[in-house]
Amino acid sequence: MTDSLNPLELSAAQAIFRDEVRDFVRTHLPPEIRERLRCGYAARKQDIVTWQRLLHTRGWAAPHWPAEYGGAGLGPAERLILQDELQRANAPLPLPFNITMLGTVLLKFGTEDQKRFFLPRLANQDLWFCQGFSEPGAGSDLAALRTRAVRDGEDYVVDGQKIWTSSAHLADWIFALVRTGQGTRKQEGISFLLIDMRSPGVTVRPIISIDGEHHLNEVFFDGVRVPVANLVGEEGRGWDCAKYLLSSERTGIANVGLCWERLDCARQLAASVQQGGQPLLSDSKLAAELALLEADIRALELTNWRFLLDPDTARKTPGFASVLKLKGSELMQELTTLIARIAGPAGLERRDAQSADATHPLAAAVPRYLFFRAATIYGGSSEVQKDILAKTILG
Amino acid sequence: MNFQASDEQQQLADSLARVLQDHGAFEQRRAISKTEAGWNPALWGQLAQLGVTALGIPEAYGGLGRLDGQDEPGELSGGAVDRQLAMQAFGHALLLEPYLASCVLGATAVREAASPAQKEALLPGVAAGEALLAWAHDETAGRHAPLWVETRARRTADGWRLDGVKPLVLHAAAAGHCVVSARLHGQPDEPDGLLLFLVDTRNTGVSLRPYRLIDDTPAGELSLRDAPAQLLGQDADHARAAAAIKTTLAAGSAAACADMVGSMACAFELTTAYVNTRQQFGRLIGEYQAVRHRVADMAVHLEMARSMAFAAAVAADDLAAPGALADMARAKLAIGRAARALCHAAIQTHGGIGMTEEYAVGHCLRRIHVMDQLFGDEAAQARRLKP
Repeated sequence: MTDSLNPLELSAAQAIFRDEVRDFVRTHLPPEIRERLRCGYAARKQDIVTWQRLLHTRGWAAPHWPAEYGGAGLGPAERLILQDELQRANAPLPLPFNITMLGTVLLKFGTEDQKRFFLPRLANQDLWFCQGFSEPGAGSDLAALRTRAVRDGEDYVVDGQKIWTSSAHLADWIFALVRTGQGTRKQEGISFLLIDMRSPGVTVRPIISIDGEHHLNEVFFDGVRVPVANLVGEEGRGWDCAKYLLSSERTGIANVGLCWERLDCARQLAASVQQGGQPLLSDSKLAAELALLEADIRALELTNWRFLLDPDTARKTPGFASVLKLKGSELMQELTTLIARIAGPAGLERRDAQSADATHPLAAAVPRYLFFRAATIYGGSSEVQKDILAKTILG
Repeated sequence: MNFQASDEQQQLADSLARVLQDHGAFEQRRAISKTEAGWNPALWGQLAQLGVTALGIPEAYGGLGRLDGQDEPGELSGGAVDRQLAMQAFGHALLLEPYLASCVLGATAVREAASPAQKEALLPGVAAGEALLAWAHDETAGRHAPLWVETRARRTADGWRLDGVKPLVLHAAAAGHCVVSARLHGQPDEPDGLLLFLVDTRNTGVSLRPYRLIDDTPAGELSLRDAPAQLLGQDADHARAAAAIKTTLAAGSAAACADMVGSMACAFELTTAYVNTRQQFGRLIGEYQAVRHRVADMAVHLEMARSMAFAAAVAADDLAAPGALADMARAKLAIGRAARALCHAAIQTHGGIGMTEEYAVGHCLRRIHVMDQLFGDEAAQARRLKP
C-alpha cells in the first residue's frame, strides 16, 4: 500500500490505525452507552469506567503514555485519530482528569513511586480523580487561590474551598492546587497535591447547573491531613504543573470528532422533525446554517491537523491552543444551540436524564444546549484565551 | 496529512514577496490604478521572470506544471497547490496585474479544453507572461449558477459565430484573446450543449466596454454579435467543455480563496502594527482589552482561512477525489465569511484612518468583497453543500 498523494488524507499506516479503532469500537462499545451518547446525553460514571477498561486492554485508555505505565505510546497524530474516532462513534473518552491531566503531570513531575502507584490505577479506572483548581475568588485568575496547606510533620494540613468541581461527588481522589507559601508573584508558593476524598474533613456539596443536572460541586477542606508523599513536583512549584497540564493538552482541545457527530445528529433530527407537514431539513435557512457549520468544522479540523504537524508547534503552542479552544468551544455551542432549536416545542418537556428510558431522541437537546454554555467558561474562559492569544501577537 | 509547502514553493513565495514589496507596494499600486491600463506591465515582466506565470501549465507547453508532457486533461496537478503561496502573496499585495485572469482562468481553460495544436499556439506565450488570456464565462442571469450560459454558438460556412454578452471579464482589454463559453443547444443551466471558444477581441462583432471593479481590477463587458470564434478542442465535445469549465472555475475558486487569505493577512498585519503605535488616553490602543480581544478574534479567522485555502487548492487539483467538491464549497464559504469578519474588524480597529481611500486596509475589504462574489458567494457555496 502506498501513501496517498493527497496531502489531506491520512497516511496508509494512520488509515490502518483508524480502521482498527473503528473496528474495536464497533465490536466492543456496549449498545446502551452508544445510544445514550447518540441521544446527546453525557456519559454516566459507569459508562466511562466500563468503556475505559475495555480501551485499556489495547493501551488506548492512556494512548500517549509509555507502555511501561499502561499506555500505548501513541504519537500526537494517532492520539488525535483515536479521539476523533471515539467521538464520532458515540464512545466516551477516557476520563480526562485521569489521563490527559493528572497522568500527563505525573509522567513529567511525579516521583517513581507516584507513577508506579497511580498511573496503572488511573488507566484502569480503579481511581476516579477530579480537578480542584477553581475557588470562589479564583476563577480565571487561578493564581489568586487561597486554599492553604500547612506542613505538620509528615503531613500537610489543608483548609479551604474549591468550587465548580466537576464530578467531585463521583471521585475517589482530587488533584488540587493549594497555597503552601507566599512568593513575590502570586504564582509562587502554590503546590500540587493529591488528596483522598475519603479523608476526614473533606465535604462535597452539589451545585445543580442550569440543565437541572448535578455535574458540579463545592469541595470543602477542613483540617484535612495529606501525606507529604502526595505532593507532586516541588513544594511551591505547583504552578509549573498546572501550566504544563493546561498547555500539554493541544490535540483534543478542539473536540472536532464531537463537532462532526453533533452535526450528523442535527441533520438526522432535522430530517425526522416535521414542520407544517414537511421535514424541517427542507427549510432553506436551516440548510444554510448546517452548511456554514460544516464549513467551519472542516476549517477547525484542518487547523487542528495543521497546528499538530507544524514543525514549530512547541513554540507556537500557547497561541495555537487558544485558537483551537476558542473556535472549538464556539462551534460546540452553535451546534448544541441549533439542535435545541431543531427539537423545537417537542424538546420542551423536562425529563429525568438519569431515568432508565433516557433515550428519547429529543429529550437531551435542551439540557445539553444549556450545559454547553459552560464550554466557553471552563478550561480557560474565552476571555482568558483571547488574552493569551493577543499576548502572543501584540506582546 | 501534510501542510508543508515544498522548498520550491517557499522559495518562489519569498522571491515574490521581495518583488512585490519593491514594486507592488501600496503607494505604487495606487499610482498604477490611476493609469489608463490600470496595471503595471513592468511588474508583470518581473513576475514572469520568476516563473510564476508558468505554474499550472504543462512543461510540454513551456510551463512548470508537473504534468511531464502528458496531454490528458485532469491527470494531475492543476497547479492550484503550487500556486497557492503565490496567490496569497498577490492577495496580500492586492495585485492588479492579470494573474488570475490569464494564468489561472485562461490557462486552465485552454489546458483542459484545447487541442494540442491550440495549446502549442497559446500556452507558451501565457507561461512566459508575453500573451494574455481572459475568461469570459459568467452571465448576468446566472448570477452564481456555475454553468449558466445563454450565449449561443452557431456553425456557419465561415466557421463558428457567437452571440451573447459576458458582463464580467477580468482584464478583457489587456487580453489578446478571450476564452468564451457558449452553447450549441440546451437550456441555460444544462451542462449538455456547452462549448468553449477562443475569441480575438479585435475582431468585428466583438465590442468591449472596459471598466474597473470595486477593488480597481481592470475588467470589461464583452458583447458578441455574430462574432467569429475558434472552437477549443478538435470537435464539439460538450462533456469535455463542461468538465473544462468546472475545472477552470475550481482553479479560480481556489485562487480566490488564497487571494482572500493574503488580503486577510495584509489587513491583520496593518491592524497589529497600528494598535501598537496608535495612542489614545495616554496609552497604546493595543493595551486595551476590547482591542486585544478583537485582534485575537481576527487571528482565529485568519488561521481557519489558511487551513481552508489549502483544502481548496488540494480539491481544485483533484476534483474527482472523494470530498473534493464539498471541500471547494466549504472553503469558499468559510473563507468568505472569515475574510469579511476580519476586514470589518480591521477597519473598526483603525477608526477614521481605516475609512480613507489613501490607506490600504479599506482596499483589503474591497478586494475580498470581489473575491467573495467571484465563483459563487457564501450563499451560493452553502447551497452547493448537501443539507
